[in-house]
Amino acid sequence: MIIDRPVPDRLQHKLDQKTLDESVQKAKLALLNDIKRSVYLYRVDCGGCNGCEIEIFSTITPVFDAERLGIRNTPSPRHADILVYTGAVTRAMRMPAVRAYGGAPDPKLVVSYGACGCTGGVFHDNYCVWGGTDKLFPVDVYIPGCPPSPAQTIYGFAIALGLLGQKLHHADIVEQPGEQAPLRFAEVPYKARVTIEREARRLSGYCYGKDLSDVFLRALEKDNGAGALANVSALIASQTDPRRVEVYEQLRDVLLNMADDGRSEAEMLKRSLETVVPLGGSCEALAVLENAMGHEGC
Amino acid sequence: MFKTIKEILRTGDATVKYPFAPLERPEHARGKPEHDAVACIGCSACAAVCPPNAIQMVTDVQEGTITWSINYGRCIFCGRCEEVCPTSAIGLSAEFELAVMSKDDLEETCTYRLRACAECGEYYAAAKEVDYATRLLTQFQDDEEAARAAALTRVCPACKQKADAYRAKARDELTGGERPPMTTNAAPVPATMGGAQ
Repeated sequence: MIIDRPVPDRLQHKLDQKTLDESVQKAKLALLNDIKRSVYLYRVDCGGCNGCEIEIFSTITPVFDAERLGIRNTPSPRHADILVYTGAVTRAMRMPAVRAYGGAPDPKLVVSYGACGCTGGVFHDNYCVWGGTDKLFPVDVYIPGCPPSPAQTIYGFAIALGLLGQKLHHADIVEQPGEQAPLRFAEVPYKARVTIEREARRLSGYCYGKDLSDVFLRALEKDNGAGALANVSALIASQTDPRRVEVYEQLRDVLLNMADDGRSEAEMLKRSLETVVPLGGSCEALAVLENAMGHEGC
Repeated sequence: MFKTIKEILRTGDATVKYPFAPLERPEHARGKPEHDAVACIGCSACAAVCPPNAIQMVTDVQEGTITWSINYGRCIFCGRCEEVCPTSAIGLSAEFELAVMSKDDLEETCTYRLRACAECGEYYAAAKEVDYATRLLTQFQDDEEAARAAALTRVCPACKQKADAYRAKARDELTGGERPPMTTNAAPVPATMGGAQ
C-alpha cells in the first residue's frame, strides 16, 4: 500500500451517487418487457483512447451491422434510449458525462463499455480518473474488453435489451483436499522437456511455440512400440507446413545435442526414453545416443 | 448497371449471422482467460505480470490461505498470464460473450491453502506449489543437488538460510576457519582482448 493511513474525509471528494426512483425503475422494466421499436444509443467518450469508438464504429458498419437489429447511433442524448460510456471517466469529463445522463429521457439504459468503462482498466489507480462509469450513476450492463470486439458489443446490447441470457457468473472456488497439479509430460525427463519448450518458444513465440512443443512432446511420449525418436521422425514426415517441419527438426536436433553432450542428463534421457518405449527408431539416431554413452553403435 | 448488379451478386451478403448463429472465431482469438483451478499451483506469476492488475493474489496468514482472483472487467486480454504460467493453468480462450448485468459477476476467485514451515511454523508458499516443486525435483534420478533441494522444500527460505549459516559455522570450527581457495569458472580472456599472452 502506498498510503498507510486513510486520507481524512475532509480532504476527499465524495461523489454524490445518483440513484433511480422507484417509478423510473418500474418504467425501465416495462420498457424492456415491451420494447417494440428501435433503440437509439448515444455514445459518451469519457477519456478513452478511442479504441472503443473504433469498435463501436465497426459494429454499425456492414459486417456486423447493428442497425439490422434496430440499434441506431444518435447524435444527441435527448433522443437516446441507451447511453454508452467509454473511457475511465477523467476528472474533467465527469460533468459532461453527468449532463449527458441528465439530458437523456427516462427510462434509459446505461452501458459501461470497455475495460476502462467497467472498472477503470489499466488506469484504475490513476490519480486523475474516477475509475469506471458506475462511480457516477447506476449502470445496467458492463461490456468488458480492451476494446470489446463488435461481436462482444452486439452481445452486450442483446443483454441490455434482455434478448440473450448472461453467461458469466461469479465463482468462488476452494482447493479440494488432496488436490495435486498434474505434471505436464511426466514421462519426458524434466531437462529435456524444459529445453524443448524453451527452444520452441524461442523459435515461434509463447503462443504457437507452446502448441508446437506440446505436439512434439506428445509424440515423444507416445507409447506405440516404435521408439521415441521414430515417433518424432514420423511426426516430421507427416507435416505439410514447411515452417512446422523446420521447427520440429530443430527441436529434434536440440534433443540429440542434449544426448550428445556427454553430461549426466544424456544417460538419464536415454534411460527415461527406454523406460517409456524401447529405443528402436533409426539406426542413425540410436548411434548418436550410443556414442554419447561411449558404447558401440548398432 | 448490369455490371453493378453482377458485382453485388458475386459479393453476396457481407453481414455475419451473429447473434442468430454462432460466430466463427479464428484460432488463438483473444477471449476470456480460462483458469484451470486444479492445474493452478498458486505461484502468483500471473498476478506479477498482469498489466492492469486484473489478476491479484491476496495472502491471509490468519486463515493460512492464498486467494487468486481475476476481474474480467479490468482484463485487457493481453495474454501475459498465459505466457508466464508454468503449468499452463491459464490461457486465453475463444469465449467472448462476457457482458454482464452486475459487476459482481465479472469476478472469480480461487482459494488455496498455504504451507507452513516445518521448522518455524511460518507460512511461506502455497501448499500445491511446494508439492509440485517437490514432485519435479524427485523426477531427477541420481542427482545429489536435486535430492538435497527436494528434502529442503518443507522449510521456509529463512530457515534454509539459517541452516546454511549453521553448517558454515560448523565447518569453520572443524577446519579452524580455513576456507578452500576461491575458484573461478570464467573463461580465460583471449590475448586479443588484453589477456595473458
